[in-house]
Amino acid sequence: MKKILQIALGILAAIGGFVDIGDLVFNVEAGAKFGYQLLWVVVVGVVGIIVYSEMCGRVAAVSKRPVFDAIRERLGFGVGLGALISSEIVNLMTLAAEVGGLALVLQLLSGLPYRVLILVGIAGLAAVIWIAPFDWIERIFGYGGLALLVFAVGAVKLHPDWGSVSHGFVPHVSGSDQLVYAYFAVGLLGAAMTPYEVYFYSSGAVEEGWTPKDIGLNRANAMIGYGLGGFLSFALMITAGALFLPLGIEPELIGTVALGAQVPLGEIGLLLALVGILFAVGGAAIDTCFSGAYNLAQFFGWEWGKYRRPSGAPRFTLAWVGLLVLALLVIMSGIDPVLLTEYAVIFSVVALPLTYVPILLVANDRAYMGRYVNGRLANAFGLLYLLVILAVAVSAIPLMILTNQGQG
Amino acid sequence: MSSPEELDLGLGLLDHQLGDSEGRRCGNVDDLELEGLSEGSPRVAAILVGPPVWRGRGRLGRLASRVARGQTVRIPWEEVDRIDSAVHLKKTAPELRLGRGDDRARRWVEWIPGS
Repeated sequence: MKKILQIALGILAAIGGFVDIGDLVFNVEAGAKFGYQLLWVVVVGVVGIIVYSEMCGRVAAVSKRPVFDAIRERLGFGVGLGALISSEIVNLMTLAAEVGGLALVLQLLSGLPYRVLILVGIAGLAAVIWIAPFDWIERIFGYGGLALLVFAVGAVKLHPDWGSVSHGFVPHVSGSDQLVYAYFAVGLLGAAMTPYEVYFYSSGAVEEGWTPKDIGLNRANAMIGYGLGGFLSFALMITAGALFLPLGIEPELIGTVALGAQVPLGEIGLLLALVGILFAVGGAAIDTCFSGAYNLAQFFGWEWGKYRRPSGAPRFTLAWVGLLVLALLVIMSGIDPVLLTEYAVIFSVVALPLTYVPILLVANDRAYMGRYVNGRLANAFGLLYLLVILAVAVSAIPLMILTNQGQG
Repeated sequence: MSSPEELDLGLGLLDHQLGDSEGRRCGNVDDLELEGLSEGSPRVAAILVGPPVWRGRGRLGRLASRVARGQTVRIPWEEVDRIDSAVHLKKTAPELRLGRGDDRARRWVEWIPGS
């Protein structure tokens, strides 16, 4: 019974932790532009992150090796270093965007100046990371992020045309604006399959000392946590499709996203939406910050882990502190967090194969995995998604340029 | 590793994590020193760790080697205790002169309250 409760709590945290600023931006913008037409892409992305999270969680449970160890072992020092540099750049961009989003929400809640709230946000994040244990951080932000469920209520209250909604789950090509449609499809996939999620997930599994006994837990966490997390993405897109598309609103501000809950549900809807976004982007900021430090430490073989005291993994500690400081400088420059988010997601898509190919290789290595190597199903999905990843990686930048970042 | 007699040096050893006798992570296998190549009976003589070794690890490795500071640490093969997904050593990191970067950084981190 206690175990079931533990699993349920973990899954709740995973649902709340699924959405980050990339999902917010791309789901809402896609909904405002194409209504419910791109819902199927979210399904594709969510299945993809489930497939690869399950794989890297299993690798971590069996071999105690997180993703970036596998990347260096399989790609070698030179190419691995390239993967490290690109992932650190994307991590930093994402972290800065999440911090900017955090400050914007704090601004809507408090009315204080944006730049002051960036400092408040960074200081708050640093304090939470320094003081709170790993599982507490996961829980606090995961549960807080559940407030985003207000968008599910809002979506229903907006009385969308459920026929069109269900049609959106069937893969199809748009009748008009096909390049922009493709750009948003790539962005939605990138937002759902952001590599920092697998870095964080696998490192967390090693931190929590998973063993082959936890493989069932891993599967449940990945499938139910990410699966239901995807539900929040649907809610955001349906809300935007029902509300913004008919009015011709192109949401370019975080506050506009929250309107999706305010219009159908009033003040309480707005408040819940803002609280949900606050915890979602705050939690994602911590995840990206840690991912950056994990990757660096794992690539160079340093001691790492949040479960240690900060002085037990000193370079790891300096790495996350340094990343927070760099993110502060980036976002203080005045760059628009929404624009930065789009760049971060699109660039992360380009680097996706460097992360996912080594995971697939290691999960198939019998010397590494023993009898826990990938089965046929995991390999069929793994290979299929490899093709999807390669296709989006190649097309991401050209689409961004051709569509002027989805502006058409 | 499933069978200790059979180890793929490229996949099963190079670039793997090093752990000391107390389970502390203390670097990666940056390169290997082989001997007996000309006699036709090659064997691994030592594990090499440290930025100077990266010079032989691709173009980016050469660049990183030039930027990073640090010395090469040579771990004789006799110091290897066992190999699974990581390489476990028989002695502690300080005894082998490994993990010195972390030891240096610790002085900075310990200065912060609550560390």
